Amino acid sequence: MPGVIPRFHAMDRSAPVWVLTAAALALLILLPMGWLGYMSVSGERGVTLAHYARVFADPQLQKALWNTIVLAFWSGLLSVAIGAPIAWLSARTDLPCSRAIRTLIMASFVTPPFLGAFAWVMLAGPNAGYLNKLYRSLTGAEDPLFNIFTMPGLIFVVAIYTFPYVYIMIANTLGLIASDLEEAASILGASRFRVALTVTLPMVAPAILSGFILSVLQALALFGSPAILALPAGFHTITTQIWALFHYPPKVEMAAAFSVPLLLATALLLLVQKRLLGRRGYASVGGKGAQRRAIPLGAWRYPALLGCLAVLGCAVFLPYGILAKAAFSRAWAQPLTWENFTLANWSFTFLYSSTQGAIVNTLELGVLTACVGAGLAALLAYVTNRKLIVGHQLLAFLALAPIVIPGTVLAVALFIAYTRPPFLLYGTLWILFIAYLTKEMPVGYSQSDATFRGIHPELEEAGRILGAGRLRVLREITAPLAKSGIIATWCFIFIGVIRELSASIILFTPNTKVMSVVIFDLKEEGQFGAIAVLGIFMLAMTFAVVALMQTLLGRDVLGPRPSAGAAG
Amino acid sequence: MPGVTIRGLSKRYGDVAAVLGLELRVEPGELVALLGPSGCGKTTTLRLVAGFLKPEAGEIWVGERCLSSPAAVVPPERRRMAMIFQSYALWPHMTVDQNVAYGLRLAGTPRADRDRRVTDILKAVQLEGYGSRYPGELSGGQQQRVAVARALVVEPEILLLDEPLSNLDANLREEMRFEIRRLHETFAITTLYVTHDQAEAMVISDRVAVLQDGRVVQVGTAEELFERPRTRFVAEFIGKTNLIDGVADGTGTVARGRLRLRVASTDLTPGAPVAVSIRPHQIELAPRALPGAPAPPDANVLAGTVVRASYLGDGVDYQVRIEESDVVLRVAGPAPPRVRLGESVSVSVASGACVPLPSGGG
Repeated sequence: MPGVIPRFHAMDRSAPVWVLTAAALALLILLPMGWLGYMSVSGERGVTLAHYARVFADPQLQKALWNTIVLAFWSGLLSVAIGAPIAWLSARTDLPCSRAIRTLIMASFVTPPFLGAFAWVMLAGPNAGYLNKLYRSLTGAEDPLFNIFTMPGLIFVVAIYTFPYVYIMIANTLGLIASDLEEAASILGASRFRVALTVTLPMVAPAILSGFILSVLQALALFGSPAILALPAGFHTITTQIWALFHYPPKVEMAAAFSVPLLLATALLLLVQKRLLGRRGYASVGGKGAQRRAIPLGAWRYPALLGCLAVLGCAVFLPYGILAKAAFSRAWAQPLTWENFTLANWSFTFLYSSTQGAIVNTLELGVLTACVGAGLAALLAYVTNRKLIVGHQLLAFLALAPIVIPGTVLAVALFIAYTRPPFLLYGTLWILFIAYLTKEMPVGYSQSDATFRGIHPELEEAGRILGAGRLRVLREITAPLAKSGIIATWCFIFIGVIRELSASIILFTPNTKVMSVVIFDLKEEGQFGAIAVLGIFMLAMTFAVVALMQTLLGRDVLGPRPSAGAAG
Repeated sequence: MPGVTIRGLSKRYGDVAAVLGLELRVEPGELVALLGPSGCGKTTTLRLVAGFLKPEAGEIWVGERCLSSPAAVVPPERRRMAMIFQSYALWPHMTVDQNVAYGLRLAGTPRADRDRRVTDILKAVQLEGYGSRYPGELSGGQQQRVAVARALVVEPEILLLDEPLSNLDANLREEMRFEIRRLHETFAITTLYVTHDQAEAMVISDRVAVLQDGRVVQVGTAEELFERPRTRFVAEFIGKTNLIDGVADGTGTVARGRLRLRVASTDLTPGAPVAVSIRPHQIELAPRALPGAPAPPDANVLAGTVVRASYLGDGVDYQVRIEESDVVLRVAGPAPPRVRLGESVSVSVASGACVPLPSGGG
């Protein structure tokens, strides 16, 4: 009963909080999205659907649309094909080294996909690709083994970095299903295979489908990998096409009209996914971790491990290896001999003014966005959790809403909204700050929400009744308890910001480049050594922050682990 | 030491009235339990007294101070109260000492005095030597004691307890009932105790206030409530009982079909619907075949058949069908059983044990 009781009457205090947060959220979401919708239908003589007509009649844009659908569907499917078996193996069986596997999946999860795409250019480019050269020297063949600059190549590279979404959904669901349910079927005479097919699979089906949808959404919104792999192959996806529409002369109306369908598709898919998860009529899912017994794999133990390692080799070992090699080589395609060894890439990267400036910009934006974002998210989560003001549900909804906005679409909207009075922010770091803050708000809010949900209101009330005022309770009881959760939120946002490409690529100007944009530029110049150095730097920062976050949360970033106890 | 007076207190959540015109007086130094099923408004009442909620109507007075009214609510931190929560609400980032000393620190108690009082109270709740532990390192029962110590150490005017024992296992719960009663006898703080467990309320409190739909329906000692319930709801909620619906056919008798019962009242209105409450342990069974002891003159003696008998070790739980009626009585008989399943029995109940209740509402 206490859960539904509004804790304090705060009508008097609600006004400033409301105005402040409502204004912030409006500036971040409603204004840009309003401009986006308006721009997509504005003509010289009032409202028009001409832009939409042109977008859908243009054969090149039609092609891009179709390519996006193909890419999203197949990479979603491939993600399920990779993620589901690994999740089952690591959650349910006696697979060896399952902790190490989980760590590697996390590495794949936090690797910026565009870095992976670069690495795979170096690994499987048709001519200079390392694996292709190896293949040719071993077999004497003329043709390359793989050509990464193809649609299948693109699908492969996208899938090896999106399968963790499927893995998370399924592993966390499997962790909640008691073995009894499976054993009940075994005792009735079902074979192990049949149990998996008729009991386990139907129970995780919603998780599989929702993992598929999450992967599709990732692929839909992705800019980096298609830009790196599809453009040289001569085809576009929606995101790269929107980006191309900004090339001189910019066709902003067209970009807006092209963005709206992408936005609607994303919103629709997320709605479906929410429905799927909401319909958990499965009594066993959602309880506390029930008794689980590992299924023995027998002779399949090591082949299964090898399969997992092969996937993770493609996602982690090979790309990281080639980046490390390129970082220390004069010519990345040549063998790493003493003559080929150099530190010049490092000095170039950190001393060259353009890259230096980008590193500074990225760190500034990362720290600023993380501080403001974590603060705002904590405030919002506190207000909504303690039901402090009327209409708190609306605030929660607004904070989560940007999850449906792909980075590229957000950038188009912000570009339109902030290149005109009263907000002339284009060309400054502030427009990037707003983009990042908006994009990271759903993650930040969910994280903070979980934090405050874990702090029982009675802990605060116990302080009040003993004589502490509201602010004193906030300072001496709530803040210390929420501290590690808020720092973890900070980390989540920081990681998200330093790797952001799809919005930055549209919003940057020569003075406001960030690391991801510079990496993208350096590729045009063929500076693979410098790319590798920046990539390693970015990964090192990411892993340092992830490690800090895991220590604070007492769990890894992939979500609840079966054995994990109640984390603060 | 002040008492608490609650007058006409009301609180709504949307369209639902949680508390509706509640009246209650707690004497200085008295422990009153607010007892009722979930949703009866007992926790809301406690939170209103604590000042976490603002009433829509009514007033809460402590001694000469009016603490809550629709016009003004003194905030919780200025009420000189202490509260023990269902979740204990121990701060996990503070040690036992820090938890207990928090209220004293807020009150500006000097360091030496503070340390002494913390040590004393920890001794009183049998937690000597646990001061440097964190709450996470204690068992449920120990956490409970820390919560009690934290509330008592500030020497509050009023102590509020919100189902403090509901998270403990059955054995510990029973033990803590006596512990809380012992502490109350030691410190004699005016106390409001919320619970849904009638046994707990009866053991711990001086008086019990039974709540139903946001109102106090009866206040009294455990004995009064059990022996002389004033409504059907109280009779059913406090202990097990048999309820027989009938009609008064005289000032002191109630009829149901051919069954007539003399009851513990002589001022019934003939023709009025009346329910009669009979406690299972106040019914005596004897084999009809044997000439039993002569029944007292005011007893109701009925003929019945045992239709169920469950042996419980310390007693026998019977169901007896009363002949020539549709009434089946629950009877708590002594062990070893004197009558058997299927046996014809004579059922005797003193008229004083047949409590007439207004039939309709509640």
